[in-house]
Amino acid sequence: MTTRNPTDWKSDVMRRRIARRYGAERRFRLLGLAAVLVSAGFLAFLLISMVGNGIRGFTRTEILVPIDFSTAPMVVDPATLKGANADQALANAGLPNVTNLAAIAAFGPKGDELLSPNAWLTVRDAIKADPSILGKKETLALPSSTAIDLAAKSKGSPEAEAAYAKLAQANAVSTGFNASFLTASDATDPTQVGIWGAFKGSLLTMLVTLALSFPVGVATALYLEEYAPKTWWTDIIEVSINNLAAVPSIIFGLLGLSIFLNLLDFPRSAALVGGMTLALMTMPVIVIAGRNAIKAVPPSIRDAALGVGASPVQVVFHHVLPLALPGILTGTIIGMARALGETAPLLMIGMRAFIATPPGGVTDPATVLPVQIFLWSDEVSKGFVEKTSAAIIVLLAFLLAMNGLAIYLRNKFEKRW
Amino acid sequence: MLLLGLAVVAWVVARARATRLQTAAPKGAMHSLPSYHGWYVALWALLPACLFLAVWTNVMPGLVTGSVLENPAASALPEDSFSRGAILAEARAIAQGKQAAAFNPLAQPLVQPYRDAQSRFATGGVILSLILAFAGAAYAFTRMRTDFRARTRVERLVMGTLLLASLIAIITTVGIVASLLWESLRFFSMVNPIDFLFGTKWSPQSAALGYGNDDAFGAVPLFWGTIFIGAIIAMAVAIPLGLMSAIYLTQYASSTTRKWMKPILEVLAGVPTVVYGYFAALTIAPALRDLAVGVGIHGASSESALAAGLVMGVMIIPFVSSMADDSIAAVPQAMRDGSLAMGATTSETIKRVLIPAALPGVVGGVLLAVSRAIGETMIVVMAAGLAANLTLNPFSSVTTVTTQIVQLLTGDQEFDSAKTLAAFALGLVLFIVTLLLNIVALRVVKKYREAYE
Amino acid sequence: MLTPEQEALKPNNPKMTARDVNVFYGQKQAIKQVSIDVDMDNVTAFIGPSGCGKSTFLRTMNRMNDTVASARVEGEITLDGDNIYSPSMDVVQLRARVGMVFQKPNPFPKSIYENIAYGPRIHGLASAKADMDVIVEKSLRRAGLWDEVKDRLHDSGTALSGGQQQRLCIGRAIAVEPEVILMDEPCSALDPIATAKIEELIHELRGRYAIVIVTHNMQQAARVSQRTAFFHLGTLVEYGVTSDIFTNPRQERTKDYITGRYG
Repeated sequence: MTTRNPTDWKSDVMRRRIARRYGAERRFRLLGLAAVLVSAGFLAFLLISMVGNGIRGFTRTEILVPIDFSTAPMVVDPATLKGANADQALANAGLPNVTNLAAIAAFGPKGDELLSPNAWLTVRDAIKADPSILGKKETLALPSSTAIDLAAKSKGSPEAEAAYAKLAQANAVSTGFNASFLTASDATDPTQVGIWGAFKGSLLTMLVTLALSFPVGVATALYLEEYAPKTWWTDIIEVSINNLAAVPSIIFGLLGLSIFLNLLDFPRSAALVGGMTLALMTMPVIVIAGRNAIKAVPPSIRDAALGVGASPVQVVFHHVLPLALPGILTGTIIGMARALGETAPLLMIGMRAFIATPPGGVTDPATVLPVQIFLWSDEVSKGFVEKTSAAIIVLLAFLLAMNGLAIYLRNKFEKRW
Repeated sequence: MLLLGLAVVAWVVARARATRLQTAAPKGAMHSLPSYHGWYVALWALLPACLFLAVWTNVMPGLVTGSVLENPAASALPEDSFSRGAILAEARAIAQGKQAAAFNPLAQPLVQPYRDAQSRFATGGVILSLILAFAGAAYAFTRMRTDFRARTRVERLVMGTLLLASLIAIITTVGIVASLLWESLRFFSMVNPIDFLFGTKWSPQSAALGYGNDDAFGAVPLFWGTIFIGAIIAMAVAIPLGLMSAIYLTQYASSTTRKWMKPILEVLAGVPTVVYGYFAALTIAPALRDLAVGVGIHGASSESALAAGLVMGVMIIPFVSSMADDSIAAVPQAMRDGSLAMGATTSETIKRVLIPAALPGVVGGVLLAVSRAIGETMIVVMAAGLAANLTLNPFSSVTTVTTQIVQLLTGDQEFDSAKTLAAFALGLVLFIVTLLLNIVALRVVKKYREAYE
Repeated sequence: MLTPEQEALKPNNPKMTARDVNVFYGQKQAIKQVSIDVDMDNVTAFIGPSGCGKSTFLRTMNRMNDTVASARVEGEITLDGDNIYSPSMDVVQLRARVGMVFQKPNPFPKSIYENIAYGPRIHGLASAKADMDVIVEKSLRRAGLWDEVKDRLHDSGTALSGGQQQRLCIGRAIAVEPEVILMDEPCSALDPIATAKIEELIHELRGRYAIVIVTHNMQQAARVSQRTAFFHLGTLVEYGVTSDIFTNPRQERTKDYITGRYG
């Protein structure tokens, strides 16, 4: 057997080789860093483009219209303004007409087209807030029409841009916070849409989801972790839960459609059915999180409780459950956040209808925020782009808040046994 | 409400009596605490009555309608069941105050009988259930003795409830399988399964227009679109980025970087898919189309496989990265030390030792990611388009299984048509494929974990 | 600083020397003021109760402690007179020259052939397949494993028995032609027969490589080494010719340990 000489590490060949290897090392490391940065950059790009588009969805262009109420062709009894029927009274008094006439007087024959069809509502609210203006001449900032609004954001048609330029020259435009975006519901005209209806729909749906999935999820987790005997039966339950957690959400939509709607004949488009469908989806998440939280409770605590003569049920409800609750809650919040952003299964059960009034209960037709986003994204009118993005901002803000809460809970209650 | 109040009363009374029993009995003779006796009695009061009410509310409308039909005013109703049902429904709506006035004159005279019958049966139901509640409570109350094992009984009920809850998972699974299978079977009675699985022409619209079902439901273009977007393009984005991110964050990054970057990457998984879809459709797709047109690629569409796949890949990054993270962490430290001690650099150790050792885990993770990608709906609905193309051009529009399910089931529905039933057949295929992927993936991962334990 | 006894032992051609080495893990000091010379021609054994720092010290000798973020090394360790902690020392080269065998056999999940070829391949020591075959055969022969595995070189290294795995790891270390081999309790996970084979192997390798072996088994130290260093609580208590240490320890603590007072 021949003896090889020890490697000559100082030779040029070796030196070059080592330099090359360090080069590869640096490149690999940079590649890794690049992957992280690209991923994070994509997130930043997404958020920035949403905020950039959406922030204008919260504002509206307003036109300053002088209205001389003393000469206006309307008759209002100041006494009616105090009662509950003030809105009705003012509408009947010809306020829309008054508003349009004032706009025509101020901006020429087509002046009324500059304003939103709902502009008179702002006038109404101004009168209700201060009835004394009825005898005076007042300049009010009224919401503009969609065309003008788009022109103000330099996305409008040439005619609208020209009209807007004229208004701007006359110092008759301003930008205000679009409060109605948060309080109104779906509409056909982008300046009039709001998210309240969809938001309320989301809220009701989430309530149903929580009410169904949380107790069932916790009970299942308790049973599997604390009581279930090791039999084929328990195995089937476990396999089902793990599979349900991996089933695509749209399949749950098909289930909801064929079982809840066609077989059981529940109302279509309702928050009740949406909530039930999402509850089936969320339950496995809660069960898995719950089992992990229960597993984390050390056996010594169970032994201690059993040792003083507590029954198995008492052990669980007095000791294990309270200790596992923060973990279960964290999992629940994460599951609910996922359900809140879910769209596809709700499309299946008809929650994509045009709903202009907020739902009053869980059986009323409703839509939810993500579906509303989907519907608006399909709209042709350009004004919907910023509204869609604005709705996305609201949705993301909620999800962020929920996830933040989950992280806070986890950090606060995280215990090492 | 009334029942709940009754149950509370039962609880209080029974507990009080049990407390008396306890003080009277010799120390230790009482098996259960007084409150358990209270629960026992309250449950006996509540459960049978509730059960009865549930049955009653389901039976009541039928009974009400039956009694209304016996009313003389009902004899004027038309014979055919459809218009008869419509009139009855209208009368019911008015009687319940949901509707102000009747459109059909025949409905008006029925309103009053309806109202009467309804209130009659409702009161009857309440009274019956109250009686049941009392009876139940009384029965339970008489059984109360010092040696009666109320706690055991209550606990048995608790256990039963827990077991019942855990059965919901099975019921749901069975429900999914049954509904998919049932509707699919109906579909396959109209369309040959072979044509469905291997046909290359997908045009359900033409089938709906009455051109026959035979060659309108070839799902191959859908399967191809799904694989093209979910398993090829999305993975081409997600695997390198996710894997390299995981490697960088676990092997190179300082702990502060890791602490900040990991949650940031996880946010990518938390963004709702509808937001991704909107982003893909609004920003990415037009940019890609302009790019493709710019470099002269033909067939570039504003809804492209690439846009949808790209964005879906980004969505999957945190998923791949956390699976890779787990598998690399599961490789024993000794393996890493062994390589470093030979004079390997960190990247050589990662490339030649860690990744080969972690490969089964990473592959399992990728399979799970694929199963998630092909089931993803909103991104492809919004960005991939509806044209059932069999194409390799990533800039052209393709459609996927999930897109078509949404497409087939929205809009006006005539439920029994082959068109809507096709959605269930597609759902069944999707369900089976994702299930298989998951089972295989979990098995691979599990085997891999065991290898290092 | 070296004690007078150590000065007396100082070899003519020390392969590695340590002077006043301190090792910290965060705030905790694991090694205190250790100075020692490792001889090219003799096997050196580090003994001592568990937690005494002998393994830690071994790991500082090829800078494996670099992989622990909180570890900090003070003092000077040289290899052929060059400080291995100086910035000009390349850690990749150092570890190729100072090989290491671990407590638990840790073959890579690759074939036997690839396990041996790994080091030469990354360091570029063989240009052709034939060269590599030669290196693999020679390394396996030196590790005393060739006859057992020559027919199944492409089976997985993890399929071997524990003792074979450990010899594979030794062969893997030999394949890059190191000058020093550090062994960290190489037999603690093996049965007595496998242990005997490893000890025999150490005898055969002696002289070709400077060998340092950490062991908690005093009989083993007595069997395989010519120099023994006794560590206790992070300090080097005594260093001397193995037979002297075991028959005539100078320090009270060494004597207590060897006679089994603590361990």
